[in-house]
Amino acid sequence: MSTAMNFGTKSFQPRPPEKGSFPLDHFGECKAFKEKFMKCLRDNNFENTLCRNESKEYLECRMERQLMAQESLEKLGFKDLMDEKSEAKKNL
Amino acid sequence: MIGASYAAVPLYRLYCQTTGLGGSPVAGHASDQIETMVPVKDRIIKVTFNADVHASLHWNFRPQQTEIYVVPGETALAFYKAKNPTDKPVIGISTYNVVPFEAGQYFNKIQCFCFEEQRLNPQEEVDMPVFFFIDPEFAEDPKMAKVDVITLSYTFFEAKEGHKLPVPGYN
Repeated sequence: MSTAMNFGTKSFQPRPPEKGSFPLDHFGECKAFKEKFMKCLRDNNFENTLCRNESKEYLECRMERQLMAQESLEKLGFKDLMDEKSEAKKNL
Repeated sequence: MIGASYAAVPLYRLYCQTTGLGGSPVAGHASDQIETMVPVKDRIIKVTFNADVHASLHWNFRPQQTEIYVVPGETALAFYKAKNPTDKPVIGISTYNVVPFEAGQYFNKIQCFCFEEQRLNPQEEVDMPVFFFIDPEFAEDPKMAKVDVITLSYTFFEAKEGHKLPVPGYN
């Protein structure tokens, strides 16, 4: 990679992530949830839409173990899964 | 988390606080966007994953999936894996690239493992997640109409004292 500033030429500008960096899961505390998610992907032709519950559970695992800053699931894009859950509860 | 073992704190660390917000005005805005964005369910995009290491970094680094199918407006999770097969702790730091170039502006990483030093102990292996979404506006951009594949590439470098990540804007 060139260290010269190429003014005027289009070059990709990486942006830092919104919420910063995930701490490393050195002890594999959430590995089981990762495996569950990966299995879901393999079983569903790698369609993210079909594995969102599993991805939500992985992130919840991280938050519970201080491996991710606490954030409401709605703000992580899981609002529809939360709505589904409360609908299901109402119908019980 | 501020305690740096290096005398010179690379500029890029200031951008990537583990607390996430770091005073950046973008962070709060993004959370609101994520909460209200509507997935564009009929616009399926294949995201493929590359992994590279710089020659001086002796890590095994690879994606845990070659591809994932997403839609704009829906948050998605993907994993990389890194192993330090040496007998010494090694600190790496990564940057990323998105291809095609014009799609990069729509690729939003909520959280990942880049731009911050990651230390792997001897023989240690870790999962490295990337949590992201493609902006729903991608689906409205005529220049993106023929873009069905977006490739995300991460490259790890060894983090050394005074080392500057060879990325424009971060030197």
